[in-house]
Amino acid sequence: MTPSRIKILLTFLPLLLVWLPVAAPATHQFVDEVGRPVTVPSVPKRVISLAPNVTEILFGLGLDQEIVGVSTHCNFPEKAKTRTRVGSYISLDFEKIVSLKPDLIIGTGAGNTKDMVDRLEKLGFSTYIIFPKNFDGILTSVRHLGQVMAKEKGALAIVRNMESRRQKIIALTRDVPRPRVFMQIGEAPIVTVGRGSFADDLISLAGGENVAAKEDKTYPRWGMEEVLKRSPEVILISSMNPKGNYEKVVQAWSRWKMIPAVQNGRIHLIDSDLIDRPSPRIIEGLEEMARLFHPERFK
Amino acid sequence: MIDVRSISFRYHQGWVLQDVSFRIQKGSFIGLIGPNGSGKTTLLKILYHHLSPQQGDILFDQIPLRKMSRPAIAKRIAMVAQETHILFPFTALEVVLMGRSPYLGHRLFESSKDLEIARKAMEWTETFSLSERAMDEVSGGERKRIFIARALAQEPELILLDEPTTNLDIHHQRDFLDLILTLNKERGLTTVMASHDMNIASEFCDQLILLCDGKIDRMGHPEEVITRENIERVYGCDVWVDRHPVSGAPRIHLLKK
Amino acid sequence: MTLVTPKKVILISALLTLLLLGVILLAVTLGSVRVPFRLSIQILIQSIMGGNVSGTDTEQAIILSLRFPRAILAGLVGAGLSVSGAVFQALLRNPLADPYILGVSSGAAVGAIVALLLGLSTASLGLPLVSFLGALMTVLLVLYFGRQDGKIHPNTLLLAGVIIGSFLSAVIMFFISISQREELRTIIFWLMGDFSLANPQTLFTVFPYVLGGFVVVYLQARHLNVMLFGEENALQLGVNVERLRMICYLFASLITAASVSVCGLIGFVGLIVPHGSRLIFGPDHRILIPASALIGASFLIASDTLARILLAPVELPVGVITAVFGGPFFIYLLKTRKTMKVL
Repeated sequence: MTPSRIKILLTFLPLLLVWLPVAAPATHQFVDEVGRPVTVPSVPKRVISLAPNVTEILFGLGLDQEIVGVSTHCNFPEKAKTRTRVGSYISLDFEKIVSLKPDLIIGTGAGNTKDMVDRLEKLGFSTYIIFPKNFDGILTSVRHLGQVMAKEKGALAIVRNMESRRQKIIALTRDVPRPRVFMQIGEAPIVTVGRGSFADDLISLAGGENVAAKEDKTYPRWGMEEVLKRSPEVILISSMNPKGNYEKVVQAWSRWKMIPAVQNGRIHLIDSDLIDRPSPRIIEGLEEMARLFHPERFK
Repeated sequence: MIDVRSISFRYHQGWVLQDVSFRIQKGSFIGLIGPNGSGKTTLLKILYHHLSPQQGDILFDQIPLRKMSRPAIAKRIAMVAQETHILFPFTALEVVLMGRSPYLGHRLFESSKDLEIARKAMEWTETFSLSERAMDEVSGGERKRIFIARALAQEPELILLDEPTTNLDIHHQRDFLDLILTLNKERGLTTVMASHDMNIASEFCDQLILLCDGKIDRMGHPEEVITRENIERVYGCDVWVDRHPVSGAPRIHLLKK
Repeated sequence: MTLVTPKKVILISALLTLLLLGVILLAVTLGSVRVPFRLSIQILIQSIMGGNVSGTDTEQAIILSLRFPRAILAGLVGAGLSVSGAVFQALLRNPLADPYILGVSSGAAVGAIVALLLGLSTASLGLPLVSFLGALMTVLLVLYFGRQDGKIHPNTLLLAGVIIGSFLSAVIMFFISISQREELRTIIFWLMGDFSLANPQTLFTVFPYVLGGFVVVYLQARHLNVMLFGEENALQLGVNVERLRMICYLFASLITAASVSVCGLIGFVGLIVPHGSRLIFGPDHRILIPASALIGASFLIASDTLARILLAPVELPVGVITAVFGGPFFIYLLKTRKTMKVL
């Protein structure tokens, strides 16, 4: 937080204290996760979500009718599919947004652009941006959105649930040797997950060792030579259609029998929504990974 | 040798050549004259079958041109165009050797016999010393002679020349025309030359064909064709016609209005 | 004497083949993973000779399943693009022509994108096939519109090719705009040109087209020389210009289609290799075509190797390398051109 922003906060706080005993204030002041000050109605009634993970968190908090608009790719939960679509990461339908008359818009720093957010601001909308970077970051974002949406109880429940399940996994995989894991995001060209990506964080939480963990780039593009060199014991492939593509994928890897993962049949597809989307379901992704890395611990 | 029978040709609308008939005897030197747009170049193109007349026929030694294959035509008729744009720098020898193309067929490389013929052609045209020079490094006059050498390498019976003396200095013009005349008289190479310059045509050719609006206006010896009346009728321009003091061939002189 | 004789062609081809072999050797021994030089060569030679092959499974796989087939494929494509570039330059009488100018590449791209959107993977044989079909359809379409009075006219052909190519580019942009993230990345990398995506089995499908096309085109080499002087000159010298144009157009397009369907749009090679070869060996197609093929093969293999090792373990798209290194080298050739014309 920059000094000027701290100043703003400090000048507003006393004002809040003055008003508190008189009446519940109509709005709250927050600073979002990218450092922007945002004025939010104390109980937002019409919220638009600009990203799938935001949608999942909002529904998870117990909101329903308050969510009036979602992005095109929001596919979870089922109810989300019935909400009005307002566009995607690449282009927002500003007219649609205006017509929905939201009192709050929530987006993510990892997909929505600064341009979009600036435009929304100019149009007069309060826009709150979350920006989780790893598992713990997701917990923080859930808490923040809980505060913003006046659903602290719901947020706490989610966080506790995720936390306890995480602890269970850590306990189960604590003293087992970590298998070398290669995670593939794109089929062609081969793109893997480096430092700073969600998947990388999950792999180590799940008791695995990401062979690309030392890569500076978040999503480095590798040649097959590198994969051969690293000799992974487990290959994870993030896919939007995990049930459908399995045969094809195993076929494609079957040439490389010198890789332990191929030899032992430890090639697995994992739903990219579970490991790439910073939402409460990331814990399911984590559990899935842990099961795949240490099957003997999860009988 | 060449029998042109009532040919008519048009590109799109409007006939460029109408009902043109004439005969070219072996060994003659024919000059093709006439105003711009009269059809000189078109006629030449038809003579080596680049273009095909919509009506009429051209017979070469009694065989219609359209029944002959391209290589067969190229072995008998050679053409030296007015301008050739050089895209890539071949050497003079390589260009002359291309004249052997109709004889090579599918073969990729020239034989020593081909090289010999090319060499002789270059000697006749005094271009042999330029063999290794790239075409973009020789002068206009030298380039013309190289293309004649190429035509000669085709070992043709008939050679067609399109405005060969344009843009040449007079000494080059003289050398060129001397060469053509020698080839015609001493080697019996039938020649058809299209020219803007009526005096040159008159001086060097046995016969002249005067074209006007796609038709033959006059054909015959220079004395018959180059007369004040004919020129005025075809060009719409009054000229003075007299005789060349040395050769006796008719020449025209422009008159100020 | 600068005249091209069979002896000269064989000599130059032999020298360039040696260069090519050297480049292949480099490609096999260099990579993001360090395999000792001698071991790499050993593995390669032993597997060609038959019998026991040294090295670990991984090392063998790297040399024999990754680097070697990739080098051969890159060589084939490099040769193919260079030869077809040279032929198009002669066909269109335009030094700026490259194999993509007549829209074949856009057709191949549309085919590949359609295949990707239908779920075919880049490692399959289906994708190059659909891509190839797309290219073929474009070739025929351009031919249909490029004719005037039933004959092929270079300028009309060029116009038809450019217009159809632009239209197909718009189609490609449309597909890109409606694609999901996953396919989008693959599409973009394919459009940039890439050998890491290519299935080495495609070697056997590309090879006959490139070789066949090369043979057919080479037999026309002398006629191509004549055609450079223009249609009139060629006709005067007995060349069947219409037939020549048809053969050149079809077979050069076929070579291009086969190459592009396998690895995407690798730029620059088809333009500068023929020019570079021309600057060194002269414009005679009897030497230009084999020289372009061999130099193009070496150039693309070298570029692909650089693409693999420059930022290892990250791979760059090979099209970046061909542009960045090819361009300045070509400028250098232009500068020293007057002193060239070897042999």
